[in-house]
Parts: sequence; structure tokens; C-alpha cells
Amino acid sequence: MKQLGVLFQKEWRENLRNYKIFWIPAVFILFGIMEPVTNYFLPQILDSVGNLPDGAVIEIPPPEPAQILAAVLGQYQLIGMLVLILAYMGTIAGERKSGTATLLYVRPLSFTSYFLSKWMIAGLIAIISVWSGLLAAYYYTFLLFEQVDFVKFIQFAATYSVWILLVVSIVLAASAALPNPGFAAAVALAVVFLAQLGDGLLGAYWTVSPVKIPNYAAQWLVDGPVRADFWWALGIALLLIAMAVTFGVWMSRKNAADTKV
Amino acid sequence: MNMLEARRLTKRYGGELAVDQVSFTLEEGTATALIGPNGAGKTTTLSMLAGLLKPTEGSVEWDAHSGIGFLPQHPQFFPWLTAIEFTEMAAKISGVEAKLARKQSERTLEFVGLGQAMNKKTGTFSGGMKQRLGLAQAIVHQPKLLLLDEPVSALDPTGRREVMDLLKSLQGQTTILYSTHILNDAEEMTDQVLFMQRGKLVEQGSLAEVKKRHANPQIRIGFDNSEHAARFLQSNPWQAEVKGASIWLPASGGPSMEEVLRVIASDPAGVNAVERQSATLEEIFLKVVGAR
Repeated sequence: MKQLGVLFQKEWRENLRNYKIFWIPAVFILFGIMEPVTNYFLPQILDSVGNLPDGAVIEIPPPEPAQILAAVLGQYQLIGMLVLILAYMGTIAGERKSGTATLLYVRPLSFTSYFLSKWMIAGLIAIISVWSGLLAAYYYTFLLFEQVDFVKFIQFAATYSVWILLVVSIVLAASAALPNPGFAAAVALAVVFLAQLGDGLLGAYWTVSPVKIPNYAAQWLVDGPVRADFWWALGIALLLIAMAVTFGVWMSRKNAADTKV
Repeated sequence: MNMLEARRLTKRYGGELAVDQVSFTLEEGTATALIGPNGAGKTTTLSMLAGLLKPTEGSVEWDAHSGIGFLPQHPQFFPWLTAIEFTEMAAKISGVEAKLARKQSERTLEFVGLGQAMNKKTGTFSGGMKQRLGLAQAIVHQPKLLLLDEPVSALDPTGRREVMDLLKSLQGQTTILYSTHILNDAEEMTDQVLFMQRGKLVEQGSLAEVKKRHANPQIRIGFDNSEHAARFLQSNPWQAEVKGASIWLPASGGPSMEEVLRVIASDPAGVNAVERQSATLEEIFLKVVGAR
């Protein structure tokens, strides 16, 4: 565990010096702001592009602020996750492929510290990104529409953070298990999207599923999800995170011999 | 005392034997050259010794407390770390205390000649600088065993000379095993030689032993020109080979050195050199490898 600090410092420097710590939150903030702003200007946009006959009156009811924040999650579910998966697909597979890992693996390296240092930095940046993006969305929704209850917002963002941490854990485990970054990204994307597809098609038959966490997060903005379902889903998600991390540690040790010498 | 012992080390990739039943020991404080053509299995052998690769069969035994330093043939560094940051991290992961790691890293970088470039990012380093940094990360934690894969073959003659001198200054206090296909380097710094070919160890022993085994010393008599040489052989009908202005007498069955000198003393016309020539490592290598 003494190595964890040393390795975390290395990861921190990497993420700082290749600007991941700036541009990933920037993407989340951008999409967080875009949703309330486009909603606000929607009547004007329709007015200027729509070929409506003169005298036609467009009456759009202003959207609920909770709907806007939920729509931001919709963006993160596609673009946000894609950004995180592409940013961290190579964190282990890439080090092995380029051979930079060799000079670490040849030492008495703790693979637990090795994997955890990467998981911590990716998780930290993902959570910083989600929170700064959602706070931006919250602020612009407040400016342009109405305020959402802040406690509800905290519950909403915290719940979604668990889901994003699960996604990050899956990417890192894939990067540890697979021989190259592209393959790792493809598998992580396939796992996440197939799980969502499966839940979308058949999810009506069950209420407890970690894939439903983003929905539960959005429900916190209104009345809140059914508590028992929510806690079960959260528990399963945390268990899956622990499993992905354990698997990642094991795979990074097992695949150490694949590093380019 | 043995620093390391490899027993019937074998690595198989699919059906192909990359390393086949390689056994040897490294005495503490000695330098050993692992010599062989490209693709002989040198890198695979070193990777197994360093613990990066698991042998298919056989085992490596070494004093686990002594620490190990490894320099790959083409060391790769994180381009966004500076030389000192990388070296310090390497030292800490190898168990050097945080307080000492910085000082030891600085001293090591000075030692390999990177004192000026310590705070530069390794992404900007030239090939020669990377090789030096590679050496620095291998020795920063002061290991007793140093494994070097082709430490100088990527360098220009000046760099090669400098790195060889650095390695020679470590000789004695550190047990060194290095692979090379440059035989002049091997001859310069080695107590033991291991010849590898197609995954097998085809010859091993101390440099002196191996030389003795294959040396076949010959006597060469040099003349001013080939006419002198021919005339000499006419008056002394020895079985010999004429090469240009020199004649070569066989290692055994021919006249002894004393006899040759006596003959020349009585008739020194045109003679300018008499010498006993033993084979160089290169000749021995070609002989050992070529014979198979």
C-alpha cells in the first residue's frame, strides 16, 4: 500500500500533463450547459428555421426544470460515457503495448496498488466531471427557468456518480484484461450498451438493476425512486464495482508478461 | 557464492522453443556476457530471469533480498515525466525509502551523465539519453544483480565507450549479466561467457577456459614480401599455409616456437615478425556457432 501513493502521484502527473483533468470536465460542463440553453432558446430557434405560415402561433409550454436535468443525464449516458471510455481504454493495455509498463513490472510492484492508483484517478476525474457538469446544468436551469431543490439535486448527482464509477471500473478492468486499448474500449462499450439494451427490452419484468440507476437518479428530482428498489440496485452496483476492481487487479498481474520488452 | 542459478530454463511459444533447457550460474560479483546472433533467445532468457516471463519449464533461483536491476533493449519511459521524477518513482517502487530516493536518484543521474537533463521530460530525450536513463533506473536502488539486454548496441561509438566505462566501474561490486552481439564489448568486460544459438546454450565457461578450449594457437611468421616467404618454406620444408607475406604454422604437429626461433636466428632474411596467435572471441564464436 506504500506504493499506492507513489503510483497515484504518477497517474496524477499523467492526467495533469496530458490535460485530461481539464478537458474531460470541460466536455461534461459543455453538455451540461447546452441542455438548458437550447431549451430556453427553442421558441426562437423554431421561429427562425421553421417555415410556418404567417400568423401561426407556436405555444410551447416551458419544460420542467427536473426534465432538463434528466435530459442532461441522457447526454452523459451517450457522450459522457463514450468520452470516459475512450480516455481510459489504454490506461493499462496501452502501457503494456508501448512497453512503458516493463520498467514497473520488473520491480516488486504491488499490482493492487498499480490498478487502484489508476482506478482512483479515473474515478476521481469522472466524478469531478459529472459534478461540475451537473452543477453547471443546475445553475443554468436556475438562471433560465426555475430552481430545483438543492437537496434533491445532491441526491440526483450522487446517485448518478455511482453509475459512472461502475462504468469507469468496467473500462479499467477491460484495459487490464485485454491486449490493446481499442479492444478494451470496444468490450467496455459492448458491455455497457448491451446491459442497457437488455434492461430496456426486458427491464419491465424487474425493478432491481444497476442499469436502472441513471433512471433512479432522475427520479430523485421528483418524488424519488421506490426506496427498496433503489437501495438494492445501489448495493448491486457497489458489489459489481468491487468485482470489477478485483478482476482488474488479478488481470493486470496475470497479463504482466505481455508487456513489450 | 552463487548470485543466481538457472536450471533447465525453457520457454515455448506454441510449438516453437524460444529457449531450450538453459542452465548456468552467476557467481557473485562477476560479469557474464550472453552472446548470440539475433533471435537466439537472449531477450527471452533475460525476461525470464527478470521475472517478467514465466518459464514453461525449469526454474530460476536467486537471492530475493539482493534486488534486481533490469535494462531492456529499448527502454520506454512515460514521456510526460522528467528524468528525476521517473528515477525517483522507480527507486521508491523498488523499496528505497522516500527520504533517500531523491538523493539516490540525483546521484545516479549524475553518474550516468544526465545531471544537466534531470528536470527535462523524457519525451524529449535522444536515444543515447534514454539508454543512460535506462541504466540509471536499473541501478538507482543499488541492486546486487544487474540484467542488461544489449546495453550498448543502439549507441554510437562514443556513447558505447562511455556506457561501457560506466558498466566497468560497476563490475566487481555488482553481479552483471548482459547480452550482446558485439564481441569486442564482450571481450572487454567479462568473466564468463554464455554462447546461445537457436534457444540453446552451446558453450559456456570463463573467458580463459573457453579460449583455451577453442584457441588452437598458431605461429605466424611475417615477411617483407611473399618471395621471402616462399624462399623460407623452400629451405624449411614445414607443413604450412602461405597467406600473402605470412606463413602460418599449425598449432600441433608442426615445429615448436623454439625451433622456429632457432631457424630464423640462423637465417633471418626478410623476416619482420614472429608471433603466437590465439583466436579472438569472435573467431571462437563463429567456430562454435558455425559448426552447428
